[in-house]
Amino acid sequence: MSRQSETALIIGAGLQGCSIALFLARAGWNVTLLDKNVAGRHASSVNAGGLRMLMRDWREYPLSQRAMEHWEHLDRLVGEKAASACEVRLGVSQIGLALDDAEMSWAVGRAEDMKKRGLGEEELLSREDVRALLPGVSDTALGGLISRRDGHANPAAATRAFREAAVAAGARIVENCRVLGLERVRGGGWRAETSFGQHEGGVLINCGGAWGARVAVMAGQTLPLKTVAPSMMVTARTQPFLTPVVIGIDRPLSFKQSAVGSLVIGGGILGKPCPDQDTSFTVMDRMPQSAAATLEAFPALAHVPVLRTWTGLEGATPDGIPVIGPGQDTPDLWHVFGFCGHGFQLSPAVGEAVAKSLVSGTLEATLAPFDCGRFASRVAA
Amino acid sequence: MTQTTDMRPSVPMDADIIIVGCGPAGMTAAIELAEANCSVIVLDMQPTPGGQIFRNLEDNISQKSSDKQKLLAALGPAYRAGADLIRRFRASSRIDYRPLTTVWEVRPDGTVGWLRGVDAGYLRATTVILAHGAMERPVPFPGWTLPGVMTAGAVQTLLKAGNLKPTGNVVLVGTGPLLLLLATQLHKLGVKPTLIARTDRFSDGLRAMRHLRRNGLLPVIKGLGWLAQLKRAGVRMVSGLSDIAAEGEQKVEAVSFTAKGLRVRQACDLLVVHDGIVPAIDIPNGAGLALQWDQANASWRPRTTPDGLASSTLPPDLQPERCAVRITGDARRIGGAEAAIAHGQLTAQAILAELGKGSGISSKSQQAVDRTLSVRPFLDTAFPPGLSATLPDDNTIVCRCEELTAGALREKIRTGFSNMDALRGETRCGMGPCQGRNCMITAARLIEEAHGACVPTPPVFRGRPPIRPLPLGALAGLNGLDPSATELLTLEDKPEHDVEATSDVPAE
Repeated sequence: MSRQSETALIIGAGLQGCSIALFLARAGWNVTLLDKNVAGRHASSVNAGGLRMLMRDWREYPLSQRAMEHWEHLDRLVGEKAASACEVRLGVSQIGLALDDAEMSWAVGRAEDMKKRGLGEEELLSREDVRALLPGVSDTALGGLISRRDGHANPAAATRAFREAAVAAGARIVENCRVLGLERVRGGGWRAETSFGQHEGGVLINCGGAWGARVAVMAGQTLPLKTVAPSMMVTARTQPFLTPVVIGIDRPLSFKQSAVGSLVIGGGILGKPCPDQDTSFTVMDRMPQSAAATLEAFPALAHVPVLRTWTGLEGATPDGIPVIGPGQDTPDLWHVFGFCGHGFQLSPAVGEAVAKSLVSGTLEATLAPFDCGRFASRVAA
Repeated sequence: MTQTTDMRPSVPMDADIIIVGCGPAGMTAAIELAEANCSVIVLDMQPTPGGQIFRNLEDNISQKSSDKQKLLAALGPAYRAGADLIRRFRASSRIDYRPLTTVWEVRPDGTVGWLRGVDAGYLRATTVILAHGAMERPVPFPGWTLPGVMTAGAVQTLLKAGNLKPTGNVVLVGTGPLLLLLATQLHKLGVKPTLIARTDRFSDGLRAMRHLRRNGLLPVIKGLGWLAQLKRAGVRMVSGLSDIAAEGEQKVEAVSFTAKGLRVRQACDLLVVHDGIVPAIDIPNGAGLALQWDQANASWRPRTTPDGLASSTLPPDLQPERCAVRITGDARRIGGAEAAIAHGQLTAQAILAELGKGSGISSKSQQAVDRTLSVRPFLDTAFPPGLSATLPDDNTIVCRCEELTAGALREKIRTGFSNMDALRGETRCGMGPCQGRNCMITAARLIEEAHGACVPTPPVFRGRPPIRPLPLGALAGLNGLDPSATELLTLEDKPEHDVEATSDVPAE
């Protein structure tokens, strides 16, 4: 049975929350987003902006493919002007670089596996291929994997675009509004007690990001989530030489050259999260490994100075993919968080699939792998 | 993969005390501490001891050429006065002096990140003394980024380090003792300034009179001496000017300003600007130390106890048991060389007392600090910030690393980017090589202009390491790492793809 004019209360006005709000509002729902800071303050705006299908967990692949279609036609979702501000660069490709035999054999296995599953967007690259594609790459590079459709976008602008599109579609965003408690409303729905009054909704959607498990606890549900602080380094500007995004296979490496020429180096090195203070700290002691991995791939960059670093707060689940779906026995409470550092690309498809599922009353097939119950059953077993 | 919650150093200490900066305050503290048998490491960016004030003094004094003698005469007795301090510093065998070393991170627990050439690492000590000094107040005005516009401090650096003298039409604009001192020095070197244009007014001097203290008379007399010399030399001087602009195509060709209601234009080859000096706060801000606003000097400074102890603002998880950082000299509070020496000594005495050595802060040291700082209220009133008094117009560049104008920043602030980090993220203001050292105060004031004053302290950019550029190669080989802090923590997101391994996972 389809539900045409329900109310939804979304906790967390990050990219996922705003994307869900956009699709729900367009479906005629009355949507309110609450955010303890300002919309998009955390991981949504400060991630590296990768639009990557390469080396994605196969369980995320169908959702990721659908998301890529949205990114390719972002103007249809958020309007032409906002879409152009998002600096979506697709087709520059992302390359998984194999620097030793173990990484190369993993790449070969991965390519076969994806072919077997019929998820064929990744191609194997030879030693000669990576040399041609990546000027300055180390002589030790053995090859790798490429996903040619991949690219990147400006995360802060994209978060803003989804937010503004959601508001234009009728969603309401209440900022600086910290949820203090959640309770069921007699007769259905949820009430949030906040630092900024009470808010109610027929359906409650927990898009709490790094704080998602804490929000779940307020609703009496336990989900495993670790708060992490992925960190990035940015160098001085150098001569443009690199178009694709390069990521490591076993090495902590993620590497791209920005439009202004600076190198943006990530790779999942973690800083110190301080979720109680809404902040996180760079731990420079861990950065040498990221710098070393970068130089192993591109030895000529040793002289390039790192100018700054940054970190952001993110939630990570034990199995590396998010929870997306209703809580146990709570069809009117959904959890959508724990994207483990790769939720940016998925967001348009997440918003669409969650909204479709809620409106139709039937869970979209693409969301099946992200069921919250997978952790409960693991505990039971 | 457990998260390290205890960030305190668990590796051996490299020294009792690490001192950042080898100017008068750093050298004085180092000598005092070494004499009491403490092990001291001194890190400094320059090749030789002396700081800004005694820059290259050893070399200049050792050479007998007439050029050098002339330079020494011009730089005056206050410069030569540092020779004895440097000699004592060099003579101490317990001081491990490391020149040409840049500090790119300091932590409240006593950890210091350093870079020398292509080597970098961490050092740890029970106490860290920040004696890194001051910087000139940033002054964005139309044309300030043109070649040929220099600060007074930069001209002095070239004089002291390279005996390089400006040629042609030299105009000095701004305020403060350093501007007048430099004009006198240039004149003695045979470079007669074409014009000294001051933003301070006669009335500022009058108002300052009530702050005159007997102890502070000497510097005032010295300053009056400079003015008299310049007057005797027939150097043209105007005061009370406003609305300065540097003009020129490829380089500065002229300076224009308003004085007594009239627009004045003066051709020049070199425009020297100076608007007073302020404590350099990049290290304290990057360390998460508390800052405060110094209204009299219109600048931030670190919040410290009178004996220099800083306080950490880090969250409880990162908070060390005790803050290991003390701040002294101009880095703590602008006072000049004598005040820096006095406070460096006082800080050393406080540290020794903490270590159970010595007899605490001597009344002589306390009196020296009070005496040397007693002229500050007079100077702050007599030379109020002038070039930076009004905010730049829309066309003027504020962030020179990223070439951002005040207008571009104002527009973003109007459209909602009204906190410092949001503004930085949106515009890249403060993201360049200087990491906001030059634009931070102006960005903060532009936000205050739009939204009202942020009392008590204007907002700062969140400081994160490295606060100075750190080459990838040096970072990759970082030494002195604490093994417990370097445990590889990464986001494990390499997907499992092995069919056997995943076959028991229910497919959709």
